Amino acid sequence: MDNLTIAATERSPAVDFDFAAGRLSLKGESYPEDASAVFGPIFAALEAFFGAARDREVSFDFDLSYFNSSSAKALMNMFQMLDQAAGAGCRLTVNWFYAADDDTMKEFGEDFSEDLSHVAFNLVSVE
Amino acid sequence: MLAKQYRSFKHDLDARGIIFSFSGYLSEEILYSLGNALRQKMTLEDANVSTVKKVFSVFVEQAQNIIRYSAEKLSGDKGQSIELSSGMVTIGTENDRFFIVCANVVMAADEPRLRQRLELLRSMDREAIKAYYKEQLREAPEEQSKGATIGLIEIARRASEPIEFDFDPIDEQKFFFCMKVSI
Repeated sequence: MDNLTIAATERSPAVDFDFAAGRLSLKGESYPEDASAVFGPIFAALEAFFGAARDREVSFDFDLSYFNSSSAKALMNMFQMLDQAAGAGCRLTVNWFYAADDDTMKEFGEDFSEDLSHVAFNLVSVE
Repeated sequence: MLAKQYRSFKHDLDARGIIFSFSGYLSEEILYSLGNALRQKMTLEDANVSTVKKVFSVFVEQAQNIIRYSAEKLSGDKGQSIELSSGMVTIGTENDRFFIVCANVVMAADEPRLRQRLELLRSMDREAIKAYYKEQLREAPEEQSKGATIGLIEIARRASEPIEFDFDPIDEQKFFFCMKVSI
């Protein structure tokens, strides 16, 4: 399937989904006016990809420095989807990057990882 | 006279520790610009990263609540669809802490539910707020709500004291709603 690349805007993250290589990444900040407009296309692409991913090896980097509460909700839905895909056989690793002095983003990573039973989740502190 | 009048207005803001105060029609673009100015100002003054994040987060949630829920809106279609929401956002420091106050007009019909949500959050300790946040993240959104509940919990989570709030009746249909958060 086609890769999905969306440039970051002032209030939405950069999306870089290289499906052929099995490398996905979200990077930047997310506090858009309408979270569903930003996350809708991302979900659609992920659903199509994971629907056919079977036992592929996939890595997903989250390098987010800030997101608002409606984006947090979208991310929670995304993690539920990722855990299902991993439960169905996809060998999925999530890397959650946070700045070493940023307790908020670290705590979000811990919160999201608590609900995951099939995804390999790494909390990565960046100096 | 003019300078005297506005100097006294400015002096009053300064005396209350106000860094900036915006009153009028808010849009997402204004939110973005004010938010950036706020982060730059705090960073220049060496506030720690975690404090800057908390203040910024509360500011964004409060401003987006005004944009979504203010009962005073202007909308129209002048080549492109425009919607502006009226309200007030004030940020300042007192007793070595940052505070963020937002205010806007709400419909009387929405007052009981908003009051109930805020009172519930006031009754919770830090761990309970965190658990409630996670529970609400997993829930489907309430009808009529574009995410207000989770936004208020995010605010309560970043606050270092219980959220203060008040409603002042304007007439039978409307209240002036105000909320103050200390970081």
